[in-house]
Amino acid sequence: MSHHDVVVVGTGLAGLTAAVRLAEAGARVLVVAKGIGSTHLSPGTIDVLGYAPARVERPGEALGALVEAQPAHPYRLVGAQGMGAAIGWFKDRVANGSLAPYAYTGGLEENLLLPTAIGVPRPSAVVPETMAAGDLRDGGPVCVVGFRALKDFHPALLADNLGRSRIGAGARAAELDLVPERRTDVNALGFARALDDPAFRGEVIAQLAARLRPDERVAFPAVLGIADPHGAWAALEHGLGRPVFEVPTLPPSVPGMRMFAILREALRRAGGAVVLNNVVTGAEQAGGRVTALRTRVGLRDERRGADWVVLATGGFASGGLELDSRWTARETALGLPVTGVPSPGEERFRPDYFGDHPMGRAGVAVDRELRPVDAAGERVLENVLVAGATLAGAEPWREKSGDGLSLATGHRAAELVLDASTPAAGAPAAAARS
Amino acid sequence: MREVPRADVLVIGGGATGAGVAWDAALRGFDVVLVERGDLAEGTSGRFHGLLHSGGRYVVKDPVAAEECVVENAILRRVIPDCIEDTGGLFVTTPDDDPAYGDRFLEGCRAAHLPAEEIDVAEALRREPRLNPAIRRAFTVPDASIDAWKTVWSFARGASAHGARILTYHRVVALHRTDGAVTGARVRNERTGEELDIEAGFTLNASGAWAAQILHMAGIEDVGVVPGKGIMIAMNHRLVNTVINRCTMPADGDILVPVRTVSIIGTTDIHSADPDQIPVTQAEVDQMLDDGERLVPRFREARALRVWAGVRPLFQDARAGAVGDTRDVSRTHAVIDHRERDGVDGLLTMSGGKLTTLRLMAEDLVDAMCAQLGTERPCHTAEERPPGNEDGEPYHLGSRLGRRERTLQEEQLICECELIGRRRLEEAMRARGSTNLDDFRRLLRLGMGPCQGGFCIYRATGILHGVDRLDGAEASASLRGFLQERWKGVWPILYGDQLRQARLDDWIFQGLLDVEHLPSEQEVAP
Repeated sequence: MSHHDVVVVGTGLAGLTAAVRLAEAGARVLVVAKGIGSTHLSPGTIDVLGYAPARVERPGEALGALVEAQPAHPYRLVGAQGMGAAIGWFKDRVANGSLAPYAYTGGLEENLLLPTAIGVPRPSAVVPETMAAGDLRDGGPVCVVGFRALKDFHPALLADNLGRSRIGAGARAAELDLVPERRTDVNALGFARALDDPAFRGEVIAQLAARLRPDERVAFPAVLGIADPHGAWAALEHGLGRPVFEVPTLPPSVPGMRMFAILREALRRAGGAVVLNNVVTGAEQAGGRVTALRTRVGLRDERRGADWVVLATGGFASGGLELDSRWTARETALGLPVTGVPSPGEERFRPDYFGDHPMGRAGVAVDRELRPVDAAGERVLENVLVAGATLAGAEPWREKSGDGLSLATGHRAAELVLDASTPAAGAPAAAARS
Repeated sequence: MREVPRADVLVIGGGATGAGVAWDAALRGFDVVLVERGDLAEGTSGRFHGLLHSGGRYVVKDPVAAEECVVENAILRRVIPDCIEDTGGLFVTTPDDDPAYGDRFLEGCRAAHLPAEEIDVAEALRREPRLNPAIRRAFTVPDASIDAWKTVWSFARGASAHGARILTYHRVVALHRTDGAVTGARVRNERTGEELDIEAGFTLNASGAWAAQILHMAGIEDVGVVPGKGIMIAMNHRLVNTVINRCTMPADGDILVPVRTVSIIGTTDIHSADPDQIPVTQAEVDQMLDDGERLVPRFREARALRVWAGVRPLFQDARAGAVGDTRDVSRTHAVIDHRERDGVDGLLTMSGGKLTTLRLMAEDLVDAMCAQLGTERPCHTAEERPPGNEDGEPYHLGSRLGRRERTLQEEQLICECELIGRRRLEEAMRARGSTNLDDFRRLLRLGMGPCQGGFCIYRATGILHGVDRLDGAEASASLRGFLQERWKGVWPILYGDQLRQARLDDWIFQGLLDVEHLPSEQEVAP
């Protein structure tokens, strides 16, 4: 049986953030996960709070009001201060990370409004530098460029809707017939790899330069490089002589993959490791503490000893939570209590897709120190902390808060473990070994 | 829109019956106009379980219906092979069923000339390993699965090729009457709001569960339709490859039909007051899942894709007395002769029936019309194959993949679940002239697979926007409409993997695209 100071379950933003933060403080960290996490699905922006329910302009200020209106919201666990600290930490990791000088920009002061692939201005707090010039609050016309072979991005539809929006400036579309390797069906990652190559960038610039109008900035699908995103973006800005920005596409998300790569490499540099294909099937416990996790690796069972466990397996979308056909919900790794699921016979969802759904906020409830609690509010495990989309009380997609919550609670979980592990606190010396 | 001032025959209803009638009448040389208030097969026909009956279900209870099924099953396999998969069928005696029923069943099959044969339980389990191992008897029958959309479209295309005009999204708002005879109808184009008068020598009411609403326009009030609501759940994967029936008197949740890449369990039979108000309840879903467990253990752990309800067109003639259980109404059909019954000329109504006998229903209805018109024109539908079926090749599970593989490198795949290429989608969009993405779901199975449009619908919206030169508002309305329609079919069965899928789709549509904040019409920038 292996033993680590901390075993983190999940490779999404929450799990990786907790793992990197802990490893950098000297803890011996292992990340176990069934597979790659939510980064590959997310737009790659850190959305702190976009709607509450009206559009939020200043997310830092809005967090306080949100927690007051929704006392069960997981942002209560971090507050604007914790969110700010996590953002500062994250931006620093990216700027000094394996894809540097690729960096993130923005903060809690105000939301940028970036167009989505269907042309809706969407509020985001912290975004890749490669997206920042898309801020629609700046006005100014946009030329949206797409590739015929990339079916996950439709520039004309984007431009048309942007033109209809109150916020959007004039927008028009241009479609390029450039195809890497002359295939007809290339996804975002295929284009991103092509754009790592200066020759392909040159072809894009050559085809496009003459078609642009003087004052236009240029939107591309978020495929501007996977190994060298800063280089690809800077080369296009330079070659086209104007601001260039990325718009997230349907998954796979290239900006999300960059985020994953940066954090995974940061973890490796700090001495931690990620092992995939490890499904947590339960835990060994003693005295209200988990002593080891049981994982299934292919057909083999393994035990992984840990002083601390950070559970960041995601919600229903990621398999961290499950609902069976008899309407019983389950936290899949440790069987933690799930709250917010209507009882059988009660309405779980409503017939209006865009309406409020009673099950929308289901998840694992925690106390102020991120420890899971039961229906009576009693802590069920002393050394397990829950972070990210597994937490009850939020509606990340509707609020546009997903990656913000994951970053902040993952970061907070690491801080709590570190605080509890200092010798002064009398807890096992995990981080102290650094 | 092109003016349609006159036709020999006006067919009301674009389901299996109406399309079959249009095909039959067009083949006999009549000039036909078909009007349908929505899309083809949007009503009962597109909302059934996909079972091409061998007749076994009816041999004990309804021998006339059984014999009709035996004959029509064989004819449809011949004339629309591309719409039918020869899955074969099994009747099985579960531990909850009376084994003695099997003897009555076999006797009934013999009387109906239905080739049924008892096989060893071990042999049945060898053929269908997921079947409940506790079954006590098993019988083979020539059941098959039939694609209702393809069937209706085949007949509609065939009718068009013989001069018929098919007007979808045209709702009948009034019937014209001259001297006691029905002489056509006023229809409203549901897309443009335009109204149009169609003069017709004869009107055939093939509107199924909606027939009473049409008859009301002719002043005929005492023919009632008893809409029998049935719910069905499509389960991902082929849990079985053979149609499985419980060998018992027809009851709820006793058939499981493998259709293309899914298996459909059906169904219930609940009296419904209004054919347009047939919500699915949680209790019905639970009942259907429990019924599934009886046929295939661990059925509840399988992934449910979608649930829907359809309404059977069961008729109640006020002069024939009240109906208790809708399941006791015969599944055979009858032509209602309004000249004889109501003194109204130029109008016939098809009552009852089922998809398996659609061809016979059409033949009987057009025969009755010919008799009233005093003309003799023989029916050809037992021999003629409508378009798409010419080569006589039956559909098999790998058909679509086989076709798709030939052009895999040359074309973008827009819907991975249902293997729909870009060219095919664009061609359909051009031909159809429709901005309703749901029309392409029915036509091409767009978004019908496991992800329920999660990935393909944004793409299809973008393509539709380009092909049809829609403005952003129209494209957005189409996308939102599809998402709402899809939600209707998934929210009652959201558990397990399909809940996970739905949440992933929320991630895409709400998290990534922010569809809920698409500018509405009113917000258009000045």
